[in-house]
Amino acid sequence: MIDIVQNSIDGVMVGSAYALLALGFTLIFGTMRRLNLAYGPTIMAGAYLGTYAFAQLGLGALPVALIVVAGAALAGLYVERLCFRPFGEGAAVASMISSFAVWMQIEEAATLLLPRHLNAFPRLAAAAPIEVGPFFFRPEHLLMLVVAGLAAACVYWALHHTRFGLGVRSVIDQRRAAALVGVPVTRTLTLAFVLASAIGGLAGFLIAASEAQITPMFGMWATTKGLIAMMLGGLGSVPGALVGGLALGIIEANAQWLFGPQVRDLLAWGLLFAVLAFWPGGLMAGRRVGEAAAVQRRV
Amino acid sequence: MNDYLVGVLANIGIISFVALSAYVLLLAGEVSFGQQAFFALGAYAAGMGTAMLRWPLAPALLLGALVGALTAALVGRATLRLTGLYFAMATLAFAEMVRILFELFTFQVEVAGGLVGPRGTDGFGDIRYLFENEITPAQYMAGIWVLLAVTLASFAAFDRSRYGRALRQAGADPLLAELQGVAVVRVRLVAAAAAGALAGLGGGLYAHLLTYVEPGNFNIMLGVHSLAYGLIGGLGTALGPVLGVLIDIGLLESSRLFAGYRMIVFGGLVAVLLIVRPRGLLDERAVHRLAGFCKGLLDAVAARRLDRSLRRR
Repeated sequence: MIDIVQNSIDGVMVGSAYALLALGFTLIFGTMRRLNLAYGPTIMAGAYLGTYAFAQLGLGALPVALIVVAGAALAGLYVERLCFRPFGEGAAVASMISSFAVWMQIEEAATLLLPRHLNAFPRLAAAAPIEVGPFFFRPEHLLMLVVAGLAAACVYWALHHTRFGLGVRSVIDQRRAAALVGVPVTRTLTLAFVLASAIGGLAGFLIAASEAQITPMFGMWATTKGLIAMMLGGLGSVPGALVGGLALGIIEANAQWLFGPQVRDLLAWGLLFAVLAFWPGGLMAGRRVGEAAAVQRRV
Repeated sequence: MNDYLVGVLANIGIISFVALSAYVLLLAGEVSFGQQAFFALGAYAAGMGTAMLRWPLAPALLLGALVGALTAALVGRATLRLTGLYFAMATLAFAEMVRILFELFTFQVEVAGGLVGPRGTDGFGDIRYLFENEITPAQYMAGIWVLLAVTLASFAAFDRSRYGRALRQAGADPLLAELQGVAVVRVRLVAAAAAGALAGLGGGLYAHLLTYVEPGNFNIMLGVHSLAYGLIGGLGTALGPVLGVLIDIGLLESSRLFAGYRMIVFGGLVAVLLIVRPRGLLDERAVHRLAGFCKGLLDAVAARRLDRSLRRR
């Protein structure tokens, strides 16, 4: 029992990073109504730039974090220009495949930059785990939880209490009507996309820093985890992304402890398949940003 | 022909089967990221047929295709309600599940004094049918291309039939197709099963070419590549996906020209083609025009011949 609680605690910590990944993912889906499969690789582009700067200049954790976030935002802009801007509204499939093509590009470019499979990444905190009763808390995980929570709160606040957020929500609700009342639709979409990529960059930095290493598999890893977490919660829903991320973290931590890493991944994919086949709206269906049913009909 | 060329040609022929498999679903209006799953199932099933059950090659390949078709029909049944992104994600999830299941799958039997069979992440080796029966790589490559030619010919016949029309119609506008009496759901299910069979057949050929397969061979990259082949080559004819494979494997992978930058070139090519030619190089319009041109040419030749024979009289 104590083990399961401990696993779930670890799961919540890792799940907070998944939730942050899913948050960026869902923001792109909510505004664009399209899936950006190059999301993970965009994050990886930033993370690799950060790793490169760390290796060459020996920067500390904070400047590296800035480089990772900025790099991810920049890579996001490239993806948006090449895979999303040229296609009209509704060309969801074309954008999805195109983003996959860019995924391959970024991955190869990253391995050209740092050819080694395993690269060192700056560690966040080297302190010993904190003991509370029978349970352990890793400090870098606690930091991850706090930063992820803060970031999610900032995004929520920005969406609901700023002019930009109002624009984003109006574009989600009715793109044409938003354009008619003077919302700069294209700029809002681009900004939201870049913001989402930056959020992904932050999540990527937290994850890479807590592991103190990064491999070329990171792009695929981030896309699949973010995707599963987002789909579990329901496409395009901010609370759904948070719930989906935490749920995925808890399930994975326990499955890994009980059955090992392969069954953990099998379970995650199986869960995604079951959710899609039986509850295509996700677990938080109906609580999306914007019109709930219309999203599904249009996709 | 040197060994390298034989290998490349055999590879192109085999990958064409997965590309055709994704192409069938594209015609039905579905994007699948998971055709590698049926390729993997076909590879394992056919490999087990010859290496463990000591079957001849042909029934083993048939078994691979059947396993692919049956599983694809089952998955199709479960995902019938899904379209677009949801379908793509469901197929991807299924394919990853299959890959991980093969990582966990160990089943070996004793054949001729040694253990043979799938061994989890270590893969499935000793599929030595070609070697044991003294089939040379060139002969095998020729066999693959004969199978591919037969498949392409069936596609050509299918495209002209009412079923081919129904498939394209269901893909272009499901609602309109349904109103005109096409049973869209059934068409999609049959298309999924046929796609599974094609991928399974390709998988069986692949296992026997390499003599060794492992779960890592069947990852998402294979699935998305096979999808991209149809989109590059074109959706107007079954030659499209084969053209896509030729461009990628023949031009990019096998030539040293783009060594180290292959993915950057290929990815950029796909992204740009999706913008300028959303249905590929050989899209419906190009095929129509080409067909018209060929027909015009034939007509001109026939007219000339008639003219000449009349004049001779």
